[in-house]
Amino acid sequence: MLDLIVRSLTQRKMRTGLTIFGIALGIFAVVVMGGMSEHLNMTYDKSIKLLAADIMVQPDGSGTLDETKIRQIKRVPGVKDAYGVLYTSLDPEKSGGGFDPGDFVSGVLPEKQIKDLKLISGRYLVPGDEYKAVIGSSIARKFNLKVGDELEIKNKRKKGSSSISHTRNVTVVGIQEYSGTMFDSSVNIPLDAAQKFYKMENTVSMIYAEPAPGTDSSLLAKRIDLSVEKVKSRSPEQLRKDIEGELVFFSLITISAAVLAAIIGGLSVMNTMLMSVSERTKEFGLLKALGAERKSILFMTMGEAALMGMIGGIAGIAGGWILVHFLNISFEAQGSALFSITPRIVVIGLIFATVLGMICGTYPAYRATKMSPMEALRYE
Amino acid sequence: MSNNGNGKEPILSIRGLKKTYMQGRIPVHALDGVNLDVKKGELISIVGPSGSGKSTLLSMIGLLDRPTEGSVFIEGKEITDAKESEAPRIRREKIGFVFQHFNLLHTLTALENVDIAMRFSGVSRSKRKIRAFELLSSIGLGDRVNHRPSELSGGQQQRVAIARAMANNPAIILADEPTGAVDTKTREVIVSVLKELSRKGQTIIVVTHDMAVAEQTDRIITMRDGRIESDTGVDMK
Repeated sequence: MLDLIVRSLTQRKMRTGLTIFGIALGIFAVVVMGGMSEHLNMTYDKSIKLLAADIMVQPDGSGTLDETKIRQIKRVPGVKDAYGVLYTSLDPEKSGGGFDPGDFVSGVLPEKQIKDLKLISGRYLVPGDEYKAVIGSSIARKFNLKVGDELEIKNKRKKGSSSISHTRNVTVVGIQEYSGTMFDSSVNIPLDAAQKFYKMENTVSMIYAEPAPGTDSSLLAKRIDLSVEKVKSRSPEQLRKDIEGELVFFSLITISAAVLAAIIGGLSVMNTMLMSVSERTKEFGLLKALGAERKSILFMTMGEAALMGMIGGIAGIAGGWILVHFLNISFEAQGSALFSITPRIVVIGLIFATVLGMICGTYPAYRATKMSPMEALRYE
Repeated sequence: MSNNGNGKEPILSIRGLKKTYMQGRIPVHALDGVNLDVKKGELISIVGPSGSGKSTLLSMIGLLDRPTEGSVFIEGKEITDAKESEAPRIRREKIGFVFQHFNLLHTLTALENVDIAMRFSGVSRSKRKIRAFELLSSIGLGDRVNHRPSELSGGQQQRVAIARAMANNPAIILADEPTGAVDTKTREVIVSVLKELSRKGQTIIVVTHDMAVAEQTDRIITMRDGRIESDTGVDMK
């Protein structure tokens, strides 16, 4: 039966080609948009994993936290240790927006560096380092830095109507391996140096609380909120849930735009199939007269639609893959990749295209089975 | 060559067949009590003016339409009470159709056009190929099997259609104006093919306007106003 389906599609090359192109465009959009959303998901997922079981304590509202809060948090029962981190934008004029944190400077205690991030060269920060930096892989690539090179950090503050900015160089002592997390875009310098340079003495952006062994981190987060004023604590699970919630929203917007494109492609399949079925009134009537069962005619018509969907899907995925490949190459040159075409996206894209084709072929197929064999008998 | 009237069990029996259409609110009696027996191997022609009910009768026998009243038996089995789901199988096994305009699929070759009739019966690909080739060869198209309908003459196309009708060894071949779209010379070729098949035992019912065709058949049934007006088979008895 497949040969008949192929024969019928190749008979009308132009029409079949245009329909497949329509589907391919839709699936192309699904793959590219989906790839972007997948990449974000993966980045956040890996980033959260690196934070291990630590509870993230942020100011309740915006602003920064006073270092005295660290001592208060340490006193909360169940907290093994707590430490602050100061996050600032590497270039205040080009801070990332939305979900992309952009390149950032993180002031960290040398003994609290994320050691799960391996170094490809150099060393970690050690106590006593001042304007030394361990940088993420994207930063290294973007600014073409090696161990021993200097990197400029910038501080810009508003004072009245004008803003004063001053800069200084830090020396790269270590480069992290690529991790696919937001830490690839980080410049890690000692906390005290960061506080001094950014004129933010005794201030941190975030406090991480390590739960003592056997402590439930969600409960501990609540306890911290109750014991320490004006903070908002999130356990890793809570953090993951919050981020997923936000990402779902983002995914929804991008994917639904893409799905819309694909549905329009699907409608063109339906249109093509309806036209094709009404042109072939005689053919379907004849097949029935020859004793074709309803299911054979359904199979033929829906098969045509599904095949167009599938070919369109493959073409769309291939096109998306090629585009994303080149986009990633150009983005990687200036930092990190933006898209990840995961096997999941490929499978979803292909199934979506095929099922879409089939669904849009259902009504035309139903019409085809309704063709009276009498039509075939009627005179031309 | 005539097998009728020799006491054999009829291959087709029609009893009290009626078909009434509603044209607006006026009932039209397309068939108004038709009784008919056909024996195996008979070549029958049904003639009559337009609207006399010939084509309606043919579509009742071919299970393409349902009667309002009455029964059709093929090989002793009533087909008029068959379920809709059984209709395709009955059409496949009992009936072969030949149409005025051939109705071949243009995208397929002559061989594939014959082959397609056997696909729905679940015949294996290799057997279909052999059978299709044999059928086409037997009606003189052995050298035309890979031609598409557009590359065949009208007469050749109709012979492909006849081979297709024969593919599943049907009890009856129903031919609706098989010579209506061809010239006189081709008509003779087609009629001789039908006569040859009938001689080999194939039952064939031909609906035609053309008396020159009807006169070459074993038995002529003349219809008027949904009834059988005359039947040479009965007259001969």
